[in-house]
Amino acid sequence: MDRSPYPTLRGAAAAIVAAGLALSLSVVAGAQDANETAAPSSLTVGLGYIPSVQFAPFYLADQAGYYADSGLDVTFQNKIDPELITLLAQGTVDIGMADGTSVIPAVSQGIPVVYGATIYGRDPNVVFSLAEAGINDVSDLAGKKVGIPGRYGSSWVALQAMLETAGLTPDDLEIVTYPDFGQAVAVSTGQVDAATGFSSNEPVQLALQGLEVNVLSVADIAPLPGPGLVVGTDTLATKGEALRAFTAATIRAMQEIEADPQVGLDATFARVPELASDPDTQQAILEATIESWRSDYASEHGLGSIDWTAWESGLEIMRSLPGSVVSDSLTVEDLVTSELEP
Amino acid sequence: MNDAPSRQRADEGREALTGGSGRRRAVRTIAPVLLAGAVFVMVWAAIVAVGDYPTYILPGPLVVADRFVSGWTDGTIAPHFWMTLGEVLLGLAVGGTAGLLVGVLLARSQAAARMLSPYIVAAQATPILALAPLIALWFGTGLASRVLICALICFFPIAVGTMVGIRSVDPKLIELGRSFRASRWQRLTRIEIPSALPQILGSFRIGVTLAVVGAIVAEWAGGDSGLGVLINLARGSMFDIPLMFATLLTIAILGVTLYLIVVSIERRLVRSRD
Repeated sequence: MDRSPYPTLRGAAAAIVAAGLALSLSVVAGAQDANETAAPSSLTVGLGYIPSVQFAPFYLADQAGYYADSGLDVTFQNKIDPELITLLAQGTVDIGMADGTSVIPAVSQGIPVVYGATIYGRDPNVVFSLAEAGINDVSDLAGKKVGIPGRYGSSWVALQAMLETAGLTPDDLEIVTYPDFGQAVAVSTGQVDAATGFSSNEPVQLALQGLEVNVLSVADIAPLPGPGLVVGTDTLATKGEALRAFTAATIRAMQEIEADPQVGLDATFARVPELASDPDTQQAILEATIESWRSDYASEHGLGSIDWTAWESGLEIMRSLPGSVVSDSLTVEDLVTSELEP
Repeated sequence: MNDAPSRQRADEGREALTGGSGRRRAVRTIAPVLLAGAVFVMVWAAIVAVGDYPTYILPGPLVVADRFVSGWTDGTIAPHFWMTLGEVLLGLAVGGTAGLLVGVLLARSQAAARMLSPYIVAAQATPILALAPLIALWFGTGLASRVLICALICFFPIAVGTMVGIRSVDPKLIELGRSFRASRWQRLTRIEIPSALPQILGSFRIGVTLAVVGAIVAEWAGGDSGLGVLINLARGSMFDIPLMFATLLTIAILGVTLYLIVVSIERRLVRSRD
């Protein structure tokens, strides 16, 4: 039999076709890969009950594209703590900023959430008063009128913890409730001698009015876990990578704002234009907020890191409070995870 | 004239005809209620089981019942219950008295009715949930403002019920009273109010349940004790959702009990009137 006069051509053609097929397949596979990595992970993020400059890191990370660069599509929701904890446990909200002192009773009641990263290295809850009231120590609160938003939440826990260090209970005070969070006005007008609040809020407002304010900080007296990033345990199992990326992007924004608060202000005003009507107040609040991010532990280990030892002592404090619902068997390992830490 | 013996003979005759004793009547009245309650509990349990809802979302009926019992025995619920009960009774007393007086005024005076009715209706149309924080702001968060909120919420139905009841009195009875030279006060107390009792007490049935709602809303607006406060504590501080449900159950029992008391009073007063 005669052989084809063009064996080399046929072989070359076959090789070319094969190469072309291989190239096409790799292009298609590459396109598919590109499509898979291009689809962002959606995250619903719960922040506190109203938009505020205190959430500047989240606003900055969103606007600077840190979340998008990490493949995240983030939506913010504003919720109060009790609602947020439940929504996190359900998975309706993927990650949120909630009080450490809410996580403890929630987990004790079997609600599946866990604390993943520290935002406030120092619990921002304080008892503030006008300097002329002469309340320089927790023991000075005995017999005084103290305004609170209600007998629930982190401020109530903080007040009880502080009182306990001086051998006092809320029964030793005259408690006046301000469910509309009007404690600053109540103190400035003399309706009450002192009130609970946040270090970045009421004392700042009063100082801007030119009033001299005394502040008793729970972080200095009875340290409790401050607000941080909280997730549902199921969500952590299914969206761990996205949550880690979100945490890292948020901490990056915190670091940038710590170095230059103006970037945080700009991001906040872009997000919440109404706040730009009083930039001096917002700047003062942000600077006080940044102070609360800082702690000795954060200085050594970085923003976002969790001080497990502080959590141990905080857990014991909450366990010792009157009417505590914290289970004796609860441990810090039940409350905190290192899976999101930078 | 005392016609009790003839009424007793009538009752005996009725029992003979129907074959029912008082006890059997009571069973016939209560049994459907218990049956409906049982069906509700079974449906609730089924929803929890089929939906596999965790306790912190929707606790099952047994979990709630257990928490209800423990909440009462460990002293968690009782102090809040007594506070709310006190607010309800005081609020009903204040709102009921004001409602009766205004209702009589509106019934007797067309001018007063024309002048006051629009404002009374407007006040009722304004949600108490919006008014309560304002009242707390103006009057403080003490017992007085909570009683005021309760009184406001039950005032309207009692005023309207009284007005309608008195206006519905048979004019011939009033004329009869006039013919016997009865004074205005005598006509009011001996003819009009007794005749209007069904409507007045019917309005109190509505008022008492609204007073319970008012007490809870008032406690949410500012209070350190009460079942409304306990709901906030259970949900927002203790994250004890079964306790929250147990508190809701307590509120429901309180409302139903007060309603039945008013019904019982209504039956006695209306029967004695007849």
